[in-house]
Amino acid sequence: MKTMFLLLKRNPLAVLGIVILFIWIFAAFFGPSFLSYTYTEMDMDHQMSLPGEYNHLLGTDALGRDVFARIIYGSRSILTVALMTSLFSSIAGILIGFTSGYFGGLIDMIFLRIMDIVMAIPPLVLAMVVLGILGDSTIFSLTLIVSIAYTPATARVARGALLSCKGNEYVDAARIRNESHFFIMFVEILPNTIGPVIVEITARFAYSIMMIASLGFLGVGLQPPTPDWGMMVIENKSIIKTASWTVLYPSLAIASLVIAVSLFSDFVSKVMIHEK
Amino acid sequence: MKNRPILEVKNLDVVYKTLTDEIVALKDINLQVGERESLGIIGESGCGKSTLFYAIMGYLPSNGNSTGEIFFKGENLLEKGQKEMMEYRGNRIAMVYQNPYSSLNPSLTIGYQLDEVTMFHRRFSRKEARKVSIQSLTDLHLGDAAGIVHRYPHQISGGMQQRICIAMALLCRPDLLILDEPTTALDVTTEAVILDIIGELKEKYDMSLIYISHDIGVVNKVSDRIAVMYRGEIVEKGSQNTIYQHPDHPYTRALINCMPRSGIVKEEVRLNTIQGYVTRRSAAETGCPYIARCEKKAHDCEKGYGLKENSPHHFSACTRAYAVDVPDRERTALKKVEENYDEEKNILKIENLYKYYGRQGKKIRALDGVTVSLDRNNVLGVVGESGCGKSTMGLTVSGLLKPTKGKLFFDGMDISVSWEKRTPDTLRGIQLIFQNPGRSLNPSFTIETIIGRPMKKLLGIKSKVERRKRIIAILKKVDIGEEYLNRKATHLSGGEMQRVALARAFSISPDLLICDEPTSALDVSVQASVLNLLGDLQQESGAAYIFISHDLNIINYFSDYIMVMYLGRVCEYGRKDEVVGPPYHPYTEALLSAVPDVDPSLKKRTIRLEGSPPNPTKKIGGCPFAGRCHRQIGEICINVPPPRVEFSDTHFVYCHLSKEEMQGISS
Repeated sequence: MKTMFLLLKRNPLAVLGIVILFIWIFAAFFGPSFLSYTYTEMDMDHQMSLPGEYNHLLGTDALGRDVFARIIYGSRSILTVALMTSLFSSIAGILIGFTSGYFGGLIDMIFLRIMDIVMAIPPLVLAMVVLGILGDSTIFSLTLIVSIAYTPATARVARGALLSCKGNEYVDAARIRNESHFFIMFVEILPNTIGPVIVEITARFAYSIMMIASLGFLGVGLQPPTPDWGMMVIENKSIIKTASWTVLYPSLAIASLVIAVSLFSDFVSKVMIHEK
Repeated sequence: MKNRPILEVKNLDVVYKTLTDEIVALKDINLQVGERESLGIIGESGCGKSTLFYAIMGYLPSNGNSTGEIFFKGENLLEKGQKEMMEYRGNRIAMVYQNPYSSLNPSLTIGYQLDEVTMFHRRFSRKEARKVSIQSLTDLHLGDAAGIVHRYPHQISGGMQQRICIAMALLCRPDLLILDEPTTALDVTTEAVILDIIGELKEKYDMSLIYISHDIGVVNKVSDRIAVMYRGEIVEKGSQNTIYQHPDHPYTRALINCMPRSGIVKEEVRLNTIQGYVTRRSAAETGCPYIARCEKKAHDCEKGYGLKENSPHHFSACTRAYAVDVPDRERTALKKVEENYDEEKNILKIENLYKYYGRQGKKIRALDGVTVSLDRNNVLGVVGESGCGKSTMGLTVSGLLKPTKGKLFFDGMDISVSWEKRTPDTLRGIQLIFQNPGRSLNPSFTIETIIGRPMKKLLGIKSKVERRKRIIAILKKVDIGEEYLNRKATHLSGGEMQRVALARAFSISPDLLICDEPTSALDVSVQASVLNLLGDLQQESGAAYIFISHDLNIINYFSDYIMVMYLGRVCEYGRKDEVVGPPYHPYTEALLSAVPDVDPSLKKRTIRLEGSPPNPTKKIGGCPFAGRCHRQIGEICINVPPPRVEFSDTHFVYCHLSKEEMQGISS
């Protein structure tokens, strides 16, 4: 705990990242109860009003919807999907990567080739195609597809972490007392690989946010009227010259969250190195 | 000091700043190295030996801060900038590191790397540089120097790599050569050759030498004077003989006494131990650095004695080594001899065991027909150079490897299969102790889980309370307190970890314990206590041991029977007194001659074994040792497998020499 504090003191950027991240999490949880508008409410009298005017903190869009409210509500969906995605892709990644690395040989070969195939397709293209076929995106389908797209990378990290531990003699010691493969993989080895895996999960979190926002921008993200940051950018693209705030603030929201998570992730990896 | 000093270190302190505190790595170091003099520095790991050498070279990491003065030929090196230091490093002061493989660039030819040195420092052309490089390799007795320059580091053996590192260090004819544990990673026969060469070159080139090592025996071979370091301080320095014969400091004395020297056996002597282990030193600490582990401490030790010249040229930070108010520990036998022959029951029989690695066509013959048997309550010492198959044998018996051919019998039961097919009782009966305790204990488990798990799995003890009771009892036996139960293995010292590993093995009362180099990752002071513990545990349990080691002194100290292996085959087997005395197999003779001795007055003739063991993928018709053997008698050695020559019921040698010839070899 003391070293954590000292490390934070040395890394002001990490502190900044953590603060921004907490603000967003707080906003997602409690933000809506402080708002005077909902995300669908249209202020028909004040369309495209300037930030600060008529009680609209960040102005309104072409339909008179409050930009601030839509951003706050949007943080809910993006954080939920990104969190679930990094969780699912890491669980799947650990399962696949561990099985592949632990047994080696043919199993390893087959798993690795499947991973290669998934990785060969750009994740955005993969998601667009699948979501396009599935029709309207829901939180569930969005999570599923982003998880699938990111599982191979996590699996590779998990496999590498397992391989670096597998040669240790405590694994041999476990073998010759007849432990099951499951026990060796998940009780003996997993806790010792947690460092790189956690770093991977946090880094994956930042990627997921980017990808969800991109999908929204491309129109295959969450469907209206659910507010989605990426979608907000594209919806208002046509009025960017007259009402730039409608594009600027959602973009800033995306950028600040991604940067915050990245800074946090860098800090996690520093802590993990220090733990060693 | 007979010569003008070339290097003078005055009041050198080195402090490392870490995130949470400051660690004192060196404290008030004063030492001198004269021209043509060689200084040996000994001490356990963590005593600042390497830090001293980094400080001299200006190689300290950015959080290391050195104060004091280091004069090299009258110039203070600590005042020099990085650029000025280039003039010294590798040019006037050269160094050789422990691991030659990581000091050489794997993607450049050896010649290229050697040439760079003189091209940079002496501005030689490539052609001139190459000439000097080849000359330097020839000085190191590397045959075919002109051929070696075209090879890459991975194409030659470790011993040759280290010789190339030394050749590289000598290219610019440095005034001072610093060697940091240069032979620790090498086999004992290779080490002997390198130590010989170092001594020879020192004379030839008129240079000074600093030799850093943890092994007093090795340092004795090459140094005129010795400095003993402990926790960042020099606690004693003097000439080689004085240090050995009249150590003034209790640490020096304990260090000498805790090493199994040649001729010491467990039936007669229990090794001295030093309690505790080397700890980090904080900036606030004053007084004697050894106080916490010292058996001879007196009430005024907290003040610290300071390094004083107690007799001419012999400095020491204490004079209580022979203090009479605290008696020396009694020297008792580790093993009672008479009980030895009770219940002689066979526990393990290995019959014609073969183990090949790799696929058809490129098989590595790790074990090539080994037959041996072992009785309860006995220790079989297995010795040989790296790659001789001794570890493979241990792993095959333990079940981690499946034998290619041949039979293994454990307590009369056929166990020639790998672990999956063995019964729980066999798995319980054969336990394995690994070389590196840090890797054999899971770092994320508590000590309780580590020891309790085999009990649950192999003894079927379901009750947690019952397990805990037994764990505490076994921990007490290995001298580890109950408070360790919930600690993780990573928070333990190396010696403590190896004790926990022993506790884990003995918690399920094994009948056979395989110890694969159990002490070679440990410091000498800790090694002694682990060996004593192993002896005590055997006395109590009557288990048989297979004790694998590269160190003949330890094997001779600890074993009842010794098996000498070479390239997967047995060269010699017998009771230990039969093996370490003549008649010998020529390989045993060479191994024995190569062992560095702690006592500098014992000057032995060293047999230089040139080259390295032959390629294990080739089938060998005759004697595997024929190519390097100094007693080879001709074609017969290369083409005909050596016959088994029996000297007694228990002692046999595989060699073409006649009985009489072998008996003629004197020790």
